[in-house]
Amino acid sequence: MSLHAQDDPALRAAQEERLRAVWKPPSGLFLRWTDTNNNRVGVWYTLTAFGFMLFAGVLALIMRTQLAVPDNDLVSANTFNQLFTLHGSMMMFLFAVPMFEAVSIILLPQLLGARDLPFPRLSAFGYWSFLLGGVFVGGSIFFNAAPDGGWFMYPPLTTRTDLSGLGADIWMLGLSFIEVSSVAAAVELIVGVLKCRPPGMRLNLMPLYAWYILVVAVMILFAFPPLIAGDLLFEMERLLNWPFFDAARGGDPLLWQHLFWIFGHPEVYIVFLPSIALFAMMIPTFAQRHLLGYPWIVLAAVGTAFLSFGLWVHHMFATGLPKISLAFFSAASEAVAIPTGVQIFAFIATLWAGKVKWSTPLLYASGSLAIFVIGGLTGVMVAVAPFDWQAHDTYFIVAHLHYVLIGGTLLPLFGGLYYYWPLITGKKLSDRLGRIAFWIMFVGVNLTFFPMHLSGLEGMPRRVFTYPAELNIGWLNLASTLGSYMFAVGVLVLVVDLALSPTRPKSPRNPWNAGTLEWLAHPDDEDWGIRSVPLVESRYPIWDQKNFVAKVDEGRFFLPDAEEGRRETIITSVLDAKPVSVIRLGTPSVKPMLTAIALGSVFILTTYHLYIMAALGGVVTLACILWWLWDTAEIPEKPEKPIGHGMKLPLYISGPAAPGWWAMFITMMADATAFSGLVFGYYFYWTVHPDFGAGFDGPGSTGPMMALALSLASWAATLAAREMHGWGSVTAARALLIAGAATAIASLFAGLACLDGLDPTANVYPAIIWVLVVWTVAHAAVAAIMQFYTLARSIAGRMKPTHDADIRNITVYAHFFALTAIVTYLTVGLFPETGL
Amino acid sequence: MRGTSIAISIMTAGLLAGCNTHQSTLAPFGADAADIRHLFIIMLVGAVVIAGGVAMLMRHAVRAPEGAIDHHRGMRIVLWLGGVIPTTVLLGLLAYSLPYMKPRPVSPTDLTIAVDGEQFWWRVAYQPTGRPAVSSANEIRIPTGRTVAFQLSAGDVVHSFWIPGLAGKMDMIPGRTNTLVVRADKPGRYRGQCAEFCGLSHALMAFDVIAMPPAAFDAWLANEARPARSSDRTGARLFAENGCGGCHTVAGVTAPSRIGPDLTHFGARRTLAAGILPMTPANVAAFIRHPEKTKPGVRMPSFPQLSDDEARALARYLQGLK
Amino acid sequence: MRRWLKRAHRLRVTLWTLIVPPTAWAVHFLFSYLWAAISCEKIGEWALFPTAFAIGTVIALVVIVMSGVIAWQQSRTPGDPPPHNEGTDIDRLRFLAYSTMLLAALSFVAVIFTALPVLMLNDCR
Repeated sequence: MSLHAQDDPALRAAQEERLRAVWKPPSGLFLRWTDTNNNRVGVWYTLTAFGFMLFAGVLALIMRTQLAVPDNDLVSANTFNQLFTLHGSMMMFLFAVPMFEAVSIILLPQLLGARDLPFPRLSAFGYWSFLLGGVFVGGSIFFNAAPDGGWFMYPPLTTRTDLSGLGADIWMLGLSFIEVSSVAAAVELIVGVLKCRPPGMRLNLMPLYAWYILVVAVMILFAFPPLIAGDLLFEMERLLNWPFFDAARGGDPLLWQHLFWIFGHPEVYIVFLPSIALFAMMIPTFAQRHLLGYPWIVLAAVGTAFLSFGLWVHHMFATGLPKISLAFFSAASEAVAIPTGVQIFAFIATLWAGKVKWSTPLLYASGSLAIFVIGGLTGVMVAVAPFDWQAHDTYFIVAHLHYVLIGGTLLPLFGGLYYYWPLITGKKLSDRLGRIAFWIMFVGVNLTFFPMHLSGLEGMPRRVFTYPAELNIGWLNLASTLGSYMFAVGVLVLVVDLALSPTRPKSPRNPWNAGTLEWLAHPDDEDWGIRSVPLVESRYPIWDQKNFVAKVDEGRFFLPDAEEGRRETIITSVLDAKPVSVIRLGTPSVKPMLTAIALGSVFILTTYHLYIMAALGGVVTLACILWWLWDTAEIPEKPEKPIGHGMKLPLYISGPAAPGWWAMFITMMADATAFSGLVFGYYFYWTVHPDFGAGFDGPGSTGPMMALALSLASWAATLAAREMHGWGSVTAARALLIAGAATAIASLFAGLACLDGLDPTANVYPAIIWVLVVWTVAHAAVAAIMQFYTLARSIAGRMKPTHDADIRNITVYAHFFALTAIVTYLTVGLFPETGL
Repeated sequence: MRGTSIAISIMTAGLLAGCNTHQSTLAPFGADAADIRHLFIIMLVGAVVIAGGVAMLMRHAVRAPEGAIDHHRGMRIVLWLGGVIPTTVLLGLLAYSLPYMKPRPVSPTDLTIAVDGEQFWWRVAYQPTGRPAVSSANEIRIPTGRTVAFQLSAGDVVHSFWIPGLAGKMDMIPGRTNTLVVRADKPGRYRGQCAEFCGLSHALMAFDVIAMPPAAFDAWLANEARPARSSDRTGARLFAENGCGGCHTVAGVTAPSRIGPDLTHFGARRTLAAGILPMTPANVAAFIRHPEKTKPGVRMPSFPQLSDDEARALARYLQGLK
Repeated sequence: MRRWLKRAHRLRVTLWTLIVPPTAWAVHFLFSYLWAAISCEKIGEWALFPTAFAIGTVIALVVIVMSGVIAWQQSRTPGDPPPHNEGTDIDRLRFLAYSTMLLAALSFVAVIFTALPVLMLNDCR
């Protein structure tokens, strides 16, 4: 269809009717919750994360009340320990990370001119997992069973079942469940940013929010899995008495600290960068000009991401590691301030060069920058290891972390709320209430946390439910408590402002006169996302491209219609956003919710030691996943369709150009990273023990080599199947798939045979071998399931040589499985018996 | 910005006045803590200058008219203020701070004190060169002007050994021995506290630190090596009858036990229950009968069956162990 | 040299080449930390004149400088005037190359930061 066809208002109305019909949300008391549209799932996600934040905030108020005066007895030590553990854990796991995921789910498709994210059902699954896990963890305090070992849960205090109760298992298992949903979100966001941009939006035209989100999502892939690996070791110790952190049997509490902080440090940048990304969208709007230093911001985001993985030992400066090792991390911790600072100056320079229009969001941005800079400066102080030897584990650190988190994550989010509220609801929030809330919060934050720098230096350690009068820090603590109440009042004013929103009139479209694509959103709130997918030629298309908004509204760009009654969006190439194909998106369904409940049951039942029922839950989860997958990678009714302007795009792609392939690849990167965490454990134990494995039998070399050979045979069969299938030899391919599944199952038994005679409760050497082998054979089982699934798809006619996404995707898995088998079996079979 | 000014005023007043002088990093009595305080003051001055500078720059940038700087000048601001200057300052800070990480040299004749963290008390063993070890608990005495090496470990969970006025902290990790080498310069009474969350009574795990001139310390250590003798016979009898010696060593009276704190010279200490309660007869008696009321999660069983008189007799006996 | 630099123009610039400099830093950092950790635990001391460490640092710096120089050449591909924010092939190339060059500068600084402790400290205690 040409540009001129869109001149006809009757055609436009008919297109809009079709779009409206296909994007109509499900209705009904239950069915409305099966929606997968990003604008609805994103709103649920945001509200839930916000609710958890308020709850965790109330926990903090109780803590501050207890600490207002010395030797207080408002709450018992037991209650207090649950309060601070839950406050930290909920804020980090149930608010900070989910909130940025939630905001991105709403914003990213709008920013990229897409109708939805590439895997809408995956987002819904992520949300339900988050809700279930969050209620499980947060609700535990009402049963006096909340985790109480600190948000970092150091063993052996937390792994000894005589010293820590059910709370530790709730933490481990509840949060592992939520970490799964975070990795799912990472998959969604990476594929979304790289492959679902509008035509013409090359990498150098991408909104900076998208750059930041891409970087953060990749960070999640490498940061969360080490924690998942640690969680596995932790739970094996608690549930099965395997001695990973028990010094008496060769374990070492420091391994947990390494794994936790390899996650924990990047984690704080994961929660910081997306909030700064909101700045990157707000500042150009209020300076009414392009952001100055776009490549510098990209440098800042990518540079911070890389460097942040080299800082983790700065949380362990007091553990007695060699001084030279500590010095490396001190140096890197100071270096990371450079990219962090670069972006701040890019924002300042933009404001300086532009015509500043003062507004409530800009007020929040300025205030947060001020608070963040203070936190960043104390951060450089504690990066200097000798100073940290005094400040570590004192209230100085509590002050530092709250300054950076509130200045770098929370207040920017509130500013973003004021900025983006018209986008989501069509109404502006109150400037008056917003400014009142800001000033109360700003003074409250400083009054609460500034005195903590001093109380820490005057001898107040962290995680103490009381302190003696003789330290003379009662006045500082009282000031902090009063400040915390003030801060809470400010938050309350904000909440009131949000609650009053339904009573306010609709705002005009794009009320801030911003230049980026998300502001194409119409206050009349259609569900289809964007009227037509635009051709982008500038970083600020609304400002720079002539008649841009009108052209989008009149469907003069791409995909203005839904002729076949399907939900569709365009896939483009990574570097230059050249259109590659059209994909049909997932529609509302009950499958994501059911899968989340089934998976949740596995974690929750395990917490209560109901292993058989948990295993059954696992079977149900597998069934749900296969049922869900069955309708994906659908063979379309025709090979291609026109998207406008004479362009025709295929409706089916497979291999590295396809989102499904990327999803598998990205998931396996996360899986490989978790596996690396376990391997790290093995070599860590070898490093710290002069006689690692002495006196305990290993699996020998023959058994592991057999298992390796069978695993590699399975991989080879899968590869051959893909090639045969591609050449049209479908029967040969099916036979090879069966062979692949058979060898995978055989490798599973061969692997388990290696464990014969090894008692994992006796010493850490057999225990870590057990973990590596069980991980590998579990992956062998999954490989076999995948091969059978692909066989079924072929037999059912849902996979053909011309439409072979399934077999190409499972080959990616096979590569990673082969790598896992190689590392595991070579390690346990040949090292350290070669005499090192 | 007014809130920040108020907060800064509080902080400055606090820095100048100080809150306490016995558990403060800003009131050092040891060489390492003094060095760290020096480093901190330098960084604090730098931080205040930078924070003020950035705030003023931000204010100026917001108020500047449109086009006050062009693209080229803007890029120079990002390069110099965002890149070059921070890199130089941080490199300088790193180079300046690295020497502070050099560990203090230890010679074989220096005094070694082994301290083990337990829930919720401190096992102390003085190990003078060439002489038998001297056991104690919950109080640490060190000579001034001499290098002392602490050998730190833990029996159950991770603890952390922190004497703010003396030096930075060092974690006590089961299965590892960490060394903290210090030198006290000013004699006096100070306090240390556990700085790694270790369970219910983490907040109530502290210890007295007494720095003494070398001659006084040597005399004290010699006395500490000898058994104590307490005159109260009723108390001594109750001590034996109730099986206290099963957990608590009193040299010359009981067989050695490692389960609970050594009470040999208990009466000479200033506090009990690991730095928490002042040493008074009433406190001792109350603690013996119901230790869990002072320290939740304590390992010591309670003795509610003791009458008030019996508890006081025990207290007199224990306080006589000087 | 000039001919080699001219050839640099024909090398592709992608998201993968963007992360070559920081990856070089990461590998150098990991190698330094692991070597120090294993050396201190197993041997009890860190080499007095760590030649291998020096060589590794030089290699990392060379990789970073080379990728930075190549990127700098590519970022000067003749095209439109700054700011290069048009939707053209040249501007996209220039942007990615420029960002790679900036990352190379940061990675260079970061490697220097990592190397400095070795010059001043070599204690396993």
